[in-house]
Amino acid sequence: MKNALAAEWCKLRTVRAPYGLLAAVGLMIVFGALISFLMVRDYDTSPAAEQARFASADFSVVITPVVQFLVAALGALIATSDPRLTALTAVPDRKRLLAAKTVLAAAVAVVVGGVTLALSLGISALIMGDRPAPIAPWESIGDVLPWGGAAVLSILVTGLFGLGLGLAVRSTAVTIVIMGLLLWGLPAVTPMLPEPWNMDASAVMVPYLVWEVAGVVNDPPLSPLAAVAVLGLYVLVTLGAGTVTLLRRDA
Amino acid sequence: MRNLTKRYGDTTAVEDLSFTVHPGLVTGFLGPNGAGKSTTMRMILGLDRPTGGEALIGGERYQDLDQPLRHVGALLDPGAVHHGRRALDHLRWIAASNGIGEKRAVELLEQVGLGGVRHKRIRALSLGMKQRLGVAAALLGDPRVLMFDEPVNGLDPEGVRWIRDLMRGLAKEGRTVFVSSHLMSEMALTADHVVIVARGQLVKETPMEALTRNGSLEDAYLELTSGRGL
Repeated sequence: MKNALAAEWCKLRTVRAPYGLLAAVGLMIVFGALISFLMVRDYDTSPAAEQARFASADFSVVITPVVQFLVAALGALIATSDPRLTALTAVPDRKRLLAAKTVLAAAVAVVVGGVTLALSLGISALIMGDRPAPIAPWESIGDVLPWGGAAVLSILVTGLFGLGLGLAVRSTAVTIVIMGLLLWGLPAVTPMLPEPWNMDASAVMVPYLVWEVAGVVNDPPLSPLAAVAVLGLYVLVTLGAGTVTLLRRDA
Repeated sequence: MRNLTKRYGDTTAVEDLSFTVHPGLVTGFLGPNGAGKSTTMRMILGLDRPTGGEALIGGERYQDLDQPLRHVGALLDPGAVHHGRRALDHLRWIAASNGIGEKRAVELLEQVGLGGVRHKRIRALSLGMKQRLGVAAALLGDPRVLMFDEPVNGLDPEGVRWIRDLMRGLAKEGRTVFVSSHLMSEMALTADHVVIVARGQLVKETPMEALTRNGSLEDAYLELTSGRGL
């Protein structure tokens, strides 16, 4: 297992695509910080009545869906970065190969998600300073933890989601298109469904599940525990499909 | 190989194939296009699952070997690589997967004549260079068994001779060399023993000498396989 994991790590860091994806994450943080800074500057010069109507300047909320998508793409890369013929000749024990890929995808997702959230929350806090709500939505670190934890969990889920889909469909491009539909396309469409389906369908979409897991939604359709279970189901279904494909199909 | 069979739906690619490949010899695996040579090699490496029978290497299935590259080296498709990766990095990850040190990868690149291009991305390498890179990957674990599928395809005369000398040298060291080809003239110069298949079935397993006693390998091959093509 140690050797298979070392090989997967070597594969990931010796191609260009992951660096491009990480650069995109970095760019999102810079862009988010700029938006946050401009909001705060506008806030400071606005009259008190308008200040009360400002949205939060915490940009971690805005960039999390993008990071979810980018980490899903990293998961897809881990699944598909090498032709199966070569990968399975080097590591013919398919369960071992799957375990190595899963551990790497999970580790990359947690590190990228954790660092991104820590940076974006930290920079947001620096920019917002000691300004009050609503521009600064958190009063203490304790207030931030549920949201931050839920966001990192959702990024872990999308990373494994990308891995599972990549293993199942065996194409990075197709995986990324499906991920785009699931993370952005469907959540944009579900609110347009007739009631009560719109609420039911939206409640199980990944972007909404993050808020439900964090427990910061008023009157949520799902409890935090149920939301975690739905996220787990996403992983179970996609990683299950990927596992069946890898273990059963000819290379 | 013991009664090895592979079916895809109604199509039989390999049927009840049984033969043994011996150490110290280059064994040529010959047959027309679509005869089941590549499928057989893929089943030996556990890439494709046999419908029936089994392929064993030293009594074990390839997928059950611990650190398989230390037992078997294979070059099936030199194009089955990530073309954006550097040549040395390609060998590094394969070496890492079987607990082989990076030093061995560097040494092998020198040995196959790719030392000067080790930091080049694979897409920048010629077909012959990719073939040499594939050979280096096969040799990483210093294995006792080597398998090559059509190794001289697309090579220039110098590359063809290099592969031939390499395979002969490996067999002389007592290793088992199993090589598929449809180039009779090349096999006549390289192989000591021949396994001929057609339509997935064994046609002949014999020492090269016995096959070419009364004529060329090509004549013997065509006589044995006539009417058995696709």
